[in-house]
Amino acid sequence: MSMTAILAKILLLGVVDSLGVWTAVGLVVAQRWGMLAGLVVGLLALNYAVLSKRAYPLRYLLPGLIPFCLMVVYPITVNMGVAFTNFGTGHRLTKEQVIDHFESRFYLPEDGERFTFQAFRDHEEDFIFLLVSKETGTTYLSAEGILEIVTLEDSRFVFDRGEIVQINGYYRLSRGELFRLLGQLQEIRLERNEEVIRLTSIREFRVYQQRYHYDREQGTLTDLKTGIIYTPIAGAFTSADGERLLPGFVVRIGFQNFLEIINNPHIARPFFRVFRWTFAFAALSVATTFVLGFSLAVLLNDPHLKMRHLYRTILIIPYAIPGFISILIWAGMLNVDFGIVNRILQDLFGTTIPWLHDPLWAKVAVVLVNLWLGFPYMMIICLGALQSIPSELYEAARIDGAGSWQRFRKVTFPLLLISIAPLLVGSFAFNFNNFNVIYLLTGGGPPIPGAMTPAGATDILISYTYNLAFGGVGAQYGFAAAISLIIFAIIATISAINFRFTRRLERISEGL
Amino acid sequence: MKKFIALLLGFTMLFGLTGAVWASTPGVLTIWADATRAPILAGLSEAFTAEFGIPVEVHEVGFGDIRDRLGIAGPAGEGPDIIIGAHDWIGQLIADGLLEPILFLEDIRDQFVPVAIEAFSSGGRIYGLPYLTEAVGLIYNRDLVLVPPATFTEFIAIASALTDPEKGQFGFLSNIPQPDPYHAFPFISAFGGYVFGLDEEGVLDPRDIGLDNEGAIIGGHLILELITSGLLPVGTDYGAMTGLFNDGMVGMILTGPWAVRDIKAAGINYGIAPLPTIGGQAMRPFVGVHGFMVSAFSANKILAMTFLEEFIATKDTMLALYEADPRNPAFIPALDVVAADPDVVAWAANAAVGTPMPSIPEMGAVWTAWADALLLIVTEEVSPEDALRDAVMRIRAVIGYE
Repeated sequence: MSMTAILAKILLLGVVDSLGVWTAVGLVVAQRWGMLAGLVVGLLALNYAVLSKRAYPLRYLLPGLIPFCLMVVYPITVNMGVAFTNFGTGHRLTKEQVIDHFESRFYLPEDGERFTFQAFRDHEEDFIFLLVSKETGTTYLSAEGILEIVTLEDSRFVFDRGEIVQINGYYRLSRGELFRLLGQLQEIRLERNEEVIRLTSIREFRVYQQRYHYDREQGTLTDLKTGIIYTPIAGAFTSADGERLLPGFVVRIGFQNFLEIINNPHIARPFFRVFRWTFAFAALSVATTFVLGFSLAVLLNDPHLKMRHLYRTILIIPYAIPGFISILIWAGMLNVDFGIVNRILQDLFGTTIPWLHDPLWAKVAVVLVNLWLGFPYMMIICLGALQSIPSELYEAARIDGAGSWQRFRKVTFPLLLISIAPLLVGSFAFNFNNFNVIYLLTGGGPPIPGAMTPAGATDILISYTYNLAFGGVGAQYGFAAAISLIIFAIIATISAINFRFTRRLERISEGL
Repeated sequence: MKKFIALLLGFTMLFGLTGAVWASTPGVLTIWADATRAPILAGLSEAFTAEFGIPVEVHEVGFGDIRDRLGIAGPAGEGPDIIIGAHDWIGQLIADGLLEPILFLEDIRDQFVPVAIEAFSSGGRIYGLPYLTEAVGLIYNRDLVLVPPATFTEFIAIASALTDPEKGQFGFLSNIPQPDPYHAFPFISAFGGYVFGLDEEGVLDPRDIGLDNEGAIIGGHLILELITSGLLPVGTDYGAMTGLFNDGMVGMILTGPWAVRDIKAAGINYGIAPLPTIGGQAMRPFVGVHGFMVSAFSANKILAMTFLEEFIATKDTMLALYEADPRNPAFIPALDVVAADPDVVAWAANAAVGTPMPSIPEMGAVWTAWADALLLIVTEEVSPEDALRDAVMRIRAVIGYE
């Protein structure tokens, strides 16, 4: 390695390391221990990979592993954590934040006094305030945070053109200065006979009364206005007669989210119907895209076909257009009254199809649109796989007297399946969670008459999860995380079974 | 080369963890606004910075993302001081402890359109400085409809006379069958249907749902009749409605001010009218209000309030916001200035009879169940009675008041 390369290496590593240490300090201050551990491990691994000769292969793996941890392992871990909490609307903050929230709540007494003010500052950044009550006209001066009544004849006041510009060596703040100091001034609390007076705006001070008091020993919150005592129950301060104060806070609730899925009949009942359709949709999507993609690949692979490259390019176009756009265009084309598909059907056959309004036709539409979106992928991978089959095998087959159908059945198809099968499993898993095509095309609809749950005829598990989590009261993240863990388990099981099946295929190929 | 990429990746990872924090910082005002309003505010704030020496950072965040991102960034100490959003967010934001009440508005509430203050109020406090109101009305093509209908009978007569599917011409289109309950609400409200009733304290009561009362069911039948009589094609969605109207093929559409820019661009000779009355009753649309809200996790609460009081709640700023995005100002001194515009008057008339879209978090359950019911009605799968009753049962089941 040249000298410059080594220098560059050390320099870059140094920069990364110093940035890492800087970040680590920030994380220690923020008390984000999990992230800190991740950073330290990542940084050490990076140094080891770059500096050690033995770790040479790591240099190739780390660029993949680090994003993998950041974008796959970390979100899944967070998701698993959230699934066991009540995180969601009304339960977003930590308990400490909620206590802060309530302790900073105040109420303005009915006859609470309001004051206009002038602020003065000395050279030591200390403030005093001159307050004039809007109600009584009484003038007050703050000293050490306590208000005392003064008159304008007070000897400490220095006037200039009828205005007080200086008090005891404190100079009056201009409006611009006030603006810039609002951040400091908003923390100031003045007192007058047990009353708290604080800044409400750049124009006035007001009498405040604290609304809630948190008792750290008892762990209870008292409403100072009504005297009601609230105890923390299931993530919210709750009164004796069951009134729950919002905002609540995040607490671990064990398996409650999972039990809700099983025990709530409105959620459990459609679950199996939705599961069946999800399975059917994923299987149909894989089957239809594979059959069409494979057929086209065989056609395009035929050397007798003219202008193959042109056809191939055209057929890849659906894959090149962002799915979002094509799905929305399809939704427009399948419109019952204004869509081009029904207009053509009307002109040719004098009839139309209620594409997105009928449960069965909506399912057909979803599968058809997904076929449009998915076949180019299958075509591309099949084309690749076909070209990798050695031509000697075909020659040998021909010499053995195999016809073209036999060659296809006994050579092409089995060999193709070996390389394609894992991708089919992947495609199944992908379509199992293919939220976009359902959400954008049918929105899960059409709805099922009399259904007590937001589960339409074409909803798949992931869109059903979305409806449950975000189509109810606000957003129920904990609940959504619990269902997505269940979906993860289902897909993992199906994929495991599929891969076992694929491995059997490979064993067959070894005997070929 | 690989090593270099590895280092580069590590580099970006570290930056990702620490950099680009659009956080509330003492002494600097941070505002989150969507793509339409961020540039306007950035321009306006320059004057504020010049006068008071306080930097204002306006960050563009997608309108649909502002609420959710505030919920994540705010408690983590990385949120803004001020957001611009819709009034129907406040239910969820207050439940999550993310909003600070804005006190000075209580003193100047009479300078705002009443419905706008009502929309941003909760539990006796005001949580947003309203700046625009919007509600649906009847937009008509003056070349096809000479005098807009005042009553529903006239409306049906005009719609029937103009409808000729052979020519591709329609008297009236609306995206109600899409299904869009927001646009369907005037039909439901005309006879006394409502979403949530008010309790004794004047607060929306999720136990009192009026979507399946007698009035709502009559409204459901009215929508069904528009479909069965052949006036309104069941496939009408927003794209078809505005597209055909902008081609000059539609007499009247029921939609809001957001459609006007494209209509103007298409060169249609349009007019805006109040929704017709039915049996002497007004069709009351939902009113949406947009405004400025202050984060409970702001490090500059008083500064943020002062910025709103001294700089935003002024005629000049409100007019500048209106110029950039002409939807009716909620601030009366600004509304008075633009009141010569007949469009403004018509939109104001519709908003005046309207009712603020409910902002409590339970609305999530309402939208989904109500949309399903609407689609079942317009596709003639279920009668309006059964569809709306099922929807209300479902809403009760979802929000837990069975």
